[in-house]
Amino acid sequence: MGEYVLEVRNLEKYYGQNKVLDKVSLSVRKGEICGLIGANGSGKSTLMNILFGNSIIAGTGGYSGDVVFEGEKVQISTTTEAIGRGIGMIYQEFMLIPEMTVAENIKLTRENTKRIFGRALGSELSYVDRKKDSEDAAAVLEQLGFQIDNSYLVKNISVNAKQFVEIAREVNKQDLKLLLLDEPTAVLNDEDAGKLMKVLKELAKKGTSIIFCSHRLHEICEVCDHVTVLRGGKAVSDYGREELDMRALARDMIGYDVTAVKKERRNQEKKAVLSFRDFSVYMPGEFLDRLNLEVYEGEILGLTSLSGHGKLAAGYGVMGQFPVMGEFLYGGASMDVKNVRKTIEHGIFLLPDDRKNMGLLLEHSVRDNIIFSGFYGRNLFQKKAGGIFSVKDKKEIDRYVKQQIEKLDIKCGNPDQKVKELSGGNQQKVCIARAVLVAPKVLFVMEPTRGVDIGAKEKILDMLVQINREQGATIVVASSELEELKRISDRIAVFCEGRLSQILTPDASDEEFAFAFTGEEGEDGQ
Amino acid sequence: MDSKIKLPQIIITAFMAGLFVLAALLGMDIPELISGSFTKFVMNGVLVLAMIPMINAGVGMNFGLPVGIVAGLLGMCMAIQLRMTGIAGFLGAVALSVVPAVILGLIYAKILNMVKGKEDIAAIFIGYSFIPIMNFVWTVAPFTNREMLYPVGAEGLRPKISLENYFGSVLNELFVLKLGKISVPLGLLLAYAAVCLLVYGFFKTKSGSVMLAVGENEKFCQLSGIRIDRVRTTAIVLSTVIGAAGICVYAQTYGFVELYNAPLSHSFPAVSAILIGGCIGRQAKISHAVLGTYLYQTIYLLSAPIANAILIPQMSEIVRMIITNGIILYAFLKQERRRRQ
Repeated sequence: MGEYVLEVRNLEKYYGQNKVLDKVSLSVRKGEICGLIGANGSGKSTLMNILFGNSIIAGTGGYSGDVVFEGEKVQISTTTEAIGRGIGMIYQEFMLIPEMTVAENIKLTRENTKRIFGRALGSELSYVDRKKDSEDAAAVLEQLGFQIDNSYLVKNISVNAKQFVEIAREVNKQDLKLLLLDEPTAVLNDEDAGKLMKVLKELAKKGTSIIFCSHRLHEICEVCDHVTVLRGGKAVSDYGREELDMRALARDMIGYDVTAVKKERRNQEKKAVLSFRDFSVYMPGEFLDRLNLEVYEGEILGLTSLSGHGKLAAGYGVMGQFPVMGEFLYGGASMDVKNVRKTIEHGIFLLPDDRKNMGLLLEHSVRDNIIFSGFYGRNLFQKKAGGIFSVKDKKEIDRYVKQQIEKLDIKCGNPDQKVKELSGGNQQKVCIARAVLVAPKVLFVMEPTRGVDIGAKEKILDMLVQINREQGATIVVASSELEELKRISDRIAVFCEGRLSQILTPDASDEEFAFAFTGEEGEDGQ
Repeated sequence: MDSKIKLPQIIITAFMAGLFVLAALLGMDIPELISGSFTKFVMNGVLVLAMIPMINAGVGMNFGLPVGIVAGLLGMCMAIQLRMTGIAGFLGAVALSVVPAVILGLIYAKILNMVKGKEDIAAIFIGYSFIPIMNFVWTVAPFTNREMLYPVGAEGLRPKISLENYFGSVLNELFVLKLGKISVPLGLLLAYAAVCLLVYGFFKTKSGSVMLAVGENEKFCQLSGIRIDRVRTTAIVLSTVIGAAGICVYAQTYGFVELYNAPLSHSFPAVSAILIGGCIGRQAKISHAVLGTYLYQTIYLLSAPIANAILIPQMSEIVRMIITNGIILYAFLKQERRRRQ
């Protein structure tokens, strides 16, 4: 084994108050492929951004800890500097210029130039040698084993091909010492992913070190020399090549020490209240791919996945927040998701995960927030003044708000306090109180316990069960907290890469969940 | 929203006080300037109020104020055509302008709802492109009152129609209170207060408070089953109607109905005024409009003669431009900084 190319020691990074990296240490030797796995939000991308000198890091207050590159302590603050040091990065989203050809994209900023002009005008203004660029590009594409005419415009080539162009661009760099890959195979089919694996191995053999991020566990197991698992900003475990085990990786990544909760099974009639038919939602970062699912009347259905894998998309799709394809049926009738008001009038309601931007009126009082949807959306609390004008029934509102504050134990000075002054848990309780008032037939709840302290969590879960049992509402909960879903749900649908991977019962085994999360078939892991 | 007066307002108020002192030192007629400041204040005040519904519904600044102004001009032209005079004539003009204001407002709203996120810039260009169309209309409109038409040829409306024989200064001369040398146009101020009260009252109603909520958080409202576009349309129509009434107030003080390109010159000062009053983007209050209009108009009123006296003639127009456009730029910068926090 060669010397360390990269050593990261005690890296810490905050975004505002959020600690996204917590004392992460990592080292990569020359010619080694280091796997980095973790759910989205575990800090992978942040780590990559630090190493590649992305300006977002400096712009949000920098980081603490050491990055040692080739034995020298460095603080890479621009991507130009990173590239200068021989670090390359391949992003999850394409960083290609659509209006340029394949060859131009590959050679961008490293164009061959005609000597004579360079002498006269300096390298910045010298004439680009297109022919030589094209030859270079063809050579590198061949090396990757991928065939494409490099005079095509990038906007016209397939997603697969784009990924290869991106890889080719990095591989073409002469002095590439460290290559960072952020989910490079997410858009590739198996065959192309296989090709990429081969290229990576060859690159490593030539002495380039690679950090490979993915949550396709079998790929990680195939190519990596060692693997670090990140969870919630911490490096939770580190495995050498010999110790690699998909099951252990999956468990570390999701991080549940799941205890089997005994829950009384209810015998329910399986009458579909909602049906999704090939329902796709084009939600940025949470694409949902052709969902076919029935939601039964009166059940609590949990939706879960690693973040970015589609658990949130169904609800937002139903509420017309993003473009959708396919059909969504309510009680057997097809619904127009664009008409949100109609959907709500039919009794479907959603509590969003982004409380600050979608779930609350921060500048308004607790009272206004609790009654808002009922008062304005459903015309509750109206009384006739003088028989003509309908006005707010203030007394009734006060009574209701007070009752809800007590029932949900919302900690606020008084109902006039602004919601932005409450803690996350209490804000979520305000949201729940708002939903209770609307008395929906079907309630979608997104990440109800995110950013909520433990006491409030119990109360919120209790309330959801109560709404389900007492108001007879069907509840669809999308959450990344599997343990909580197991406690309240009748069924749990697990998504992976935008597709429904399995529907499990809450008492299904840990392994079954782990595999469903990663989209792997159980047998592969044996 | 805390209603505390913030640093920029204090600075501007201090600047205005400084101007008064300077004016006194230069031997200008202070009581007359103060009396003038009241008239100027109300003259532009209602136009500034036309900003409020749109800002509060999250549609942005009413840069398309010329749309409302044109509606008001149409109303006044009809009133002149019908030879309406006095207070009744003025109220008639306002009433007549409501119909075109609603129609134009609906079209204006339709466009703004299609360009969500870029309303400000779209509204500016709606104003700019609408005026040439109206220039054409003014020349061919079938008005027959000779006092409105070009004196020579008697065809097409003249650019400046005198209101002397109709309802010029009717509000200005209503209940004028003399305090020593200072004259306070009570009628004018009362009329302005009435409009303020109406707008204030509107935001206490159900549809007014929905408008505030939509301005604060559109997604939230949509998920509560509120028809966002409808609320926005209401706000835009309301802004347009207030704009139409605003130009009627303006014209009666000024004494002339100004057609053709004149409406364009009102939108930036009105935007500036409400920004000076302390509104930064999302929520506009009546107090912002009132304070802003007074500060803006008074500073302009004072700086013009002072600048002319101590600097060069014609300096006043330059000062006006710097204040108007500078404050809009400042507000955009401030909004952006807020957004990033």
